[in-house]
Amino acid sequence: MKQQPLQPVEIIAPMPRPRSFSENAAQLLRGSGDPGGMTGVVGALVLVIAVTAALAVIKTAFIDLPPIVITYLIPVLIAAIRWGFLPALTATIGGAACAAFFFYKPVHTFYVEDPARRLGLVIFALVAIVAAHLAVRMRRESEIVRKREKEISDLYAFSRRLAGGHSTADIFDAIQKHLSTVVGRKVALFEPSGPANRPTPIGESDVPQDIRNAVVAVIAGNADAAAGMTVTDDHGDIWLVHAVSSKTPDLGVVAIDLGSQTPESEKEIRARIEAILHDAAQTIEQIGLAHAITEVRMRAESDRFRDALIGSVSHELRTPLASILGAATVLCDAPAIAAEARLAALANVVREESERLNNEIQNLLDATRISGEALQPKLEWAELSDVVNAAVERRPSRFVCHSIEVDLPPELPLIQADAVLIEKALGQILANSAKYSPPGSRIRIRGWREDRMVAIAVSDEGAGLSAEDSAHLGERFFRGRRHINTTPGSGLGFWIATAFIAANGGAIDATSAGEGKGTTVTIRLPIPANVDQLESIASD
Amino acid sequence: MTEATPNVLVVDDEVQIRRFLRSGFELDGYSVSEAESGRDAIRAATLRPTDLIILDLALPDLDGSQVLERIRSWSNVPIIILSVRSSEMEKVRLFEMGADDYVTKPFGMAELLARSKVVLRRKARATTGDSVVRIGRLKIDLAARNVFVGDERLTLTPKEYRLLQILAQYPGNVVTHQELLKEIWGLPHINDTHYLRIVVRKLRQKIESDPNHPTILLTELGVGYRLAPPNEPGETPTQ
Repeated sequence: MKQQPLQPVEIIAPMPRPRSFSENAAQLLRGSGDPGGMTGVVGALVLVIAVTAALAVIKTAFIDLPPIVITYLIPVLIAAIRWGFLPALTATIGGAACAAFFFYKPVHTFYVEDPARRLGLVIFALVAIVAAHLAVRMRRESEIVRKREKEISDLYAFSRRLAGGHSTADIFDAIQKHLSTVVGRKVALFEPSGPANRPTPIGESDVPQDIRNAVVAVIAGNADAAAGMTVTDDHGDIWLVHAVSSKTPDLGVVAIDLGSQTPESEKEIRARIEAILHDAAQTIEQIGLAHAITEVRMRAESDRFRDALIGSVSHELRTPLASILGAATVLCDAPAIAAEARLAALANVVREESERLNNEIQNLLDATRISGEALQPKLEWAELSDVVNAAVERRPSRFVCHSIEVDLPPELPLIQADAVLIEKALGQILANSAKYSPPGSRIRIRGWREDRMVAIAVSDEGAGLSAEDSAHLGERFFRGRRHINTTPGSGLGFWIATAFIAANGGAIDATSAGEGKGTTVTIRLPIPANVDQLESIASD
Repeated sequence: MTEATPNVLVVDDEVQIRRFLRSGFELDGYSVSEAESGRDAIRAATLRPTDLIILDLALPDLDGSQVLERIRSWSNVPIIILSVRSSEMEKVRLFEMGADDYVTKPFGMAELLARSKVVLRRKARATTGDSVVRIGRLKIDLAARNVFVGDERLTLTPKEYRLLQILAQYPGNVVTHQELLKEIWGLPHINDTHYLRIVVRKLRQKIESDPNHPTILLTELGVGYRLAPPNEPGETPTQ
């Protein structure tokens, strides 16, 4: 099944927001500068000097330009965008100082004579600081956008890997790699399978024992699965131990080395990791679904294979059997053979045995259909007497030496069932009755209505059932101990009958007064609720 | 058709099956010709006078049902289908395509001969154009729309008569549930099998001597109904 890529719009990992002016100032005062603090300051000063030199050249070559200080906005903005707020501030102060020192009278002193120019310098400083702040902010925002873009593309790559993963190993590998990319430090993933007290990590194997213990606790469900837990190792690094799915540790547990973090940044990175794990868990659940679907499809394929096998077996075995049985029946009735009693007996043996073989093949095919759950009863309204008559007429020729007595009340309700399956079940029961009772004895078929059920009982005067027989009857391939060596059979008949009746919503039971006292097998089938109103429906 | 030696065309790709069918039919007084493929069968049926076709469904070139369809397009020669598959759905389909009977392999020769006799007799009756059908003690006069058991004239409801009339048009032939439901109640009721069961039950109470063991209106389980083969001309009613 094709996987849905993760939806990037659902990424809810919090991003660092742009700092406010006061935060910029506060950070400046704290002294923890922006990345490349000193480089930035030096760079800013170089820029200021370059601008001063350029102005000096212009001043000598041309005439004096009054609002010269404005030019220093160029190094301020460049410094703000490239290096951050502190270098920009440096450039502002430097610019103002250079303007006062080199260009405003009196030259070569920091004193500025003209009050308008003094005011101009102050305004420049204010404008420069505000512009620097805005530029820094812009830079941060564009950085965030770039970062976000990268994360989205990472996540896409991650989701593609997840979707392409055919095994949990592939998926765990993808999760582990993605987390490593995001966190930039050690990530160990512990598979759900394997010994619970000795979890083995995938990917990163250098995991301290303290962390492994925490993983065991999470796998065992001792820790809050939704929150995860943090553990500090011997080197002072903080590790986050978190189940992949917040619902269950069954999808695996990750241990992530966060390094040394301030509580604030730790909270931030934890939120991002949780967001990633949330998406990963969802994908794994989807893949679980996909596996279920694949399994269904594979089952359908094996069904087709089994059907093909059944078709092939039934054809391959029955085609030669059809010739044997057909030829035997021609021989039995041929005048030349019929006139010769000994030959006629032999021809009959061939005929009867091939009939028996045919029945056994049919039983095997029926059994395959049952065990493969390929039994789909075609429920239709049926007349019970039709079913019973068909079963009696269709019984094998070697069982005709019993007298069969059918006693069905004329007003039995219609049943809603697969008549062919019921007939086959009844046929199996009749064959058993005939097989295990002496030739010439009587087999009775009775039917009656029992509240919401209709019952059909087949009683014989035969071998009956021992306690052991009763206990095992209905098991596939079970054969009574007394008959194994005396009566041929596969032990499938009663099992098939049971399955066929059950497929029609009915039940079957066998009772016997004891060994040698005959057996009564009773089939009970449900009567459809609306059966009593049917009479009026069809009338003219 | 020659009354003395009917010609039967045996269509099966298995030489062993054709061999025993030939012996069986010849011993019973038929003259036999053989075809081992669907195209051979169609050619043989057009070239030679044929009274009965025994058609296997699994043929190397065409499907047996295609052969049935092609032959049915110009001939109503009786056709008995042989098949190793015994699905009721397939039987229904083949009966509706015009098969006269269906025998599941393996089968005994006696059974096939009995069924052959029935379809041949049906054909003979159809050619005489007799409008009276006699089955046991039942007499159906299709022209006068009268039904008798012995000498007693029965009062049937219109639906009971219609059912009997449809079955009596081809006595011995299976008519599927769907066809009967469509003919009697109309297309919307094609799956209301219980309508049919109830009318059959009532009809059997009127025409059968033991409605629980019908000998005239017979059930083909999971497929449909048929009337028992009509009496031979001159045969005396036994029931």
